[in-house]
Amino acid sequence: MRNFDFLDAEYAISGTRSDEARVSPDAIDLGLSNSLVVPQVDRPSSFLRDAFANVPEKDRIRFAHGTTTLAFSFKGGIIVAVDSRASMGQYIGSGTVKKIIEINPYLLGTMAGGAADCSFWERDLGRRCKLYELRNKERISVAAASKLLANTVYYYKGMGLSMGTMICGWDKTGPSIFYVDSDGTRLKGKMFSVGSGSTFAYGVLDQGYSYDMSDEEAITLGQKSIYHATHRDAASGGVINLYHVKEDGWVKISSEDMMVQHRARMAQIKAENETSAAVVAEPAAA
Amino acid sequence: MSILEYNGGCVIAMAGKDCVAIASDHRLGVQLTTVAMDATRIFPMHDKLYLGLTGLMTDITTLDQLFRFRLEMYEMRENRKIKPKTFSNLVSSTLYGKRFGPYFSEPVIAGLDKDNKPFLCSMDLLGCIAEADDFAVAGTCAESLLGTCETFYRPNLEPEDLFETVSQSLLAALDRDCISGWGAVVHIITKDGVTTRELDGRMD
Amino acid sequence: MTSSGNAPGGFSFDNVIRNSMLQQKGYAPPTARKTGTTIAGVVFSGGVVLGADTRATSGPTVFEKNCQKIHYIADSIMCCGAGTAADTDATTQLISSQLALHSLATRRAPRVATALNMLKQMLFRYQGHISAALVLGGVDFHGPHLYTVYPHGSTDRLPYVTMGSGSLAAMAVFESKYKEDMTADEAKQLVYEGISAGIFNDLGSGGNVDLCIITKEGKELIRGYAKENERKYRRPAGYIFPHGATPVIAGSEQFKGPEKGFSVVAEVAPAQDTMDVSA
Repeated sequence: MRNFDFLDAEYAISGTRSDEARVSPDAIDLGLSNSLVVPQVDRPSSFLRDAFANVPEKDRIRFAHGTTTLAFSFKGGIIVAVDSRASMGQYIGSGTVKKIIEINPYLLGTMAGGAADCSFWERDLGRRCKLYELRNKERISVAAASKLLANTVYYYKGMGLSMGTMICGWDKTGPSIFYVDSDGTRLKGKMFSVGSGSTFAYGVLDQGYSYDMSDEEAITLGQKSIYHATHRDAASGGVINLYHVKEDGWVKISSEDMMVQHRARMAQIKAENETSAAVVAEPAAA
Repeated sequence: MSILEYNGGCVIAMAGKDCVAIASDHRLGVQLTTVAMDATRIFPMHDKLYLGLTGLMTDITTLDQLFRFRLEMYEMRENRKIKPKTFSNLVSSTLYGKRFGPYFSEPVIAGLDKDNKPFLCSMDLLGCIAEADDFAVAGTCAESLLGTCETFYRPNLEPEDLFETVSQSLLAALDRDCISGWGAVVHIITKDGVTTRELDGRMD
Repeated sequence: MTSSGNAPGGFSFDNVIRNSMLQQKGYAPPTARKTGTTIAGVVFSGGVVLGADTRATSGPTVFEKNCQKIHYIADSIMCCGAGTAADTDATTQLISSQLALHSLATRRAPRVATALNMLKQMLFRYQGHISAALVLGGVDFHGPHLYTVYPHGSTDRLPYVTMGSGSLAAMAVFESKYKEDMTADEAKQLVYEGISAGIFNDLGSGGNVDLCIITKEGKELIRGYAKENERKYRRPAGYIFPHGATPVIAGSEQFKGPEKGFSVVAEVAPAQDTMDVSA
């Protein structure tokens, strides 16, 4: 097996750890080392590309992809909202997945694409952010944290990682959101939505967004955007989880079944229809 | 993705005591995008015979019209209602006629015969009849439906109990399938008439 | 004949071009229901015994646990089918009806060899595209006969035969235990053991053992001769849902009483909606 350490030697735990920590020099990798193992072939990346991409659809190793996640910044900070469905093809594997990953009290990551890839690398990111903090006696910036993640996944580019995430947090520069995906893309922005339901979420988001809105309006907008995506996108659904990132860290705001939003909207439409019917009826009487 | 899963949707039928139930979801999608939530894939053939069609919606529409045409021709020629068993043979031979270029639809037939005994059957897209005395399923969550039916089904249910059992079997399976759901309709066919109810299912 | 109607006595290829276009666009063609199957037959002194399992599968799913794979051809001729379920059903039905017409036209009881020739001629014409693998057995005035028919139209005439995905398991039993001039009971036991070997050793076969015994005196079809895969456990009380457990959309319930008996009434032309041409 060939190991590909993705960190500089000075950051790597295995380099600083005492020998007693290891059972023997040839000890089996128990996941203590912070490196992934790649296949023992001449060109691991092309081997993995063949296994994951250059094969007919039916033979390909597939991950759960259906998701709606979103994050946007406004006057009061950042709203992060997600659905909770994990689909395996058309089958619903779980309806109660936590797709917002709490990296540390100031950083949140969202989960789209391969669930294992997102949760593993974002947990790893949390560890490295803590190391940074211990070394430098200050919190890592969102920009630096997202770049650590982007560099890691870029190293494995073409080997089959699948991940589309938003790293959201508050640092010295204020609130910021970075979109990072497994192609190596890293973008800073005010508003992102990722996943199969993202087009629906963007529609609602663009229509209702304003930088100056209140916290309550922003929370409602986040919930509504996810609700509409769960309604129209078959691969999104379940519970709407919503977090608010503020200056002193993130707060979990709500975790509510999308049917609550649906029932409220149906009741509102019904009420509006009744009032408009009354308005139409009135002139005839007059 | 199989073409049978392009639009999504499923049908379930279950036998009771001198009654039979047939139910389906309401989703019409284009792959993962839900286009309509009021689609219908159960068609009354006469007051004691219902036909459910799953699969590609364009073929469902075509087949509904084709069967209705054939049925009306039969009724005019014979001056009587068609028996469920005869109708299932009509459906089967129509589908098998296109053995080498099939319609992408798997039907479920539910009805009462002249003694008001339940008749149930499902077919594959080539028209292979699988007659059942308990339940028949088809569609994108057929495997889940088979599982719920195997646990929930009891023989000789009265109409109201049959409604609950068939509805619970359907709703449980819908909640495990991405491309079925968005409401459901249940028809309970008895000798006195047909009761139709819309279920308040999940909308995701 | 218009394209919407079936051309008499043949297949319609209306959808072929559309379907191959869909396949090119990457939509996998759907699979028909198959019978991963064990079917077999044995000749004994006074007749033949046919046997079959009862499982029908669609991919990895068992879609029917108790289907009938021993098909009727004539009163003293039966045919076991393996392969695509729709093909074995339709082929045996078609030959059965043609044989009945032939029998009426010739005023003779149908012979097994006639059925065999009809089957092989039809299957050969379709060059193996109709995937029906058959075991044909029966008794006519020449005595008992047993044949196998392959999807391309080739046939065998043998004293003991097996077919389908479980044929190897069943043949292993036959090869070790077959003997000439068995009694009916010995033959039944042998076929049962062969099918049972298929059910338990071939994953595509399963369910019950069906047998059919055909002699000069008549035939006996035994559905569920052996039921060795009965469901082991069922919750004794079952699942009982109280009335009103299922949420129903308020006001959606409709009741439609039965229609009056079918009768022709004088037709009245409905009032025509005339087109509004004013202004």
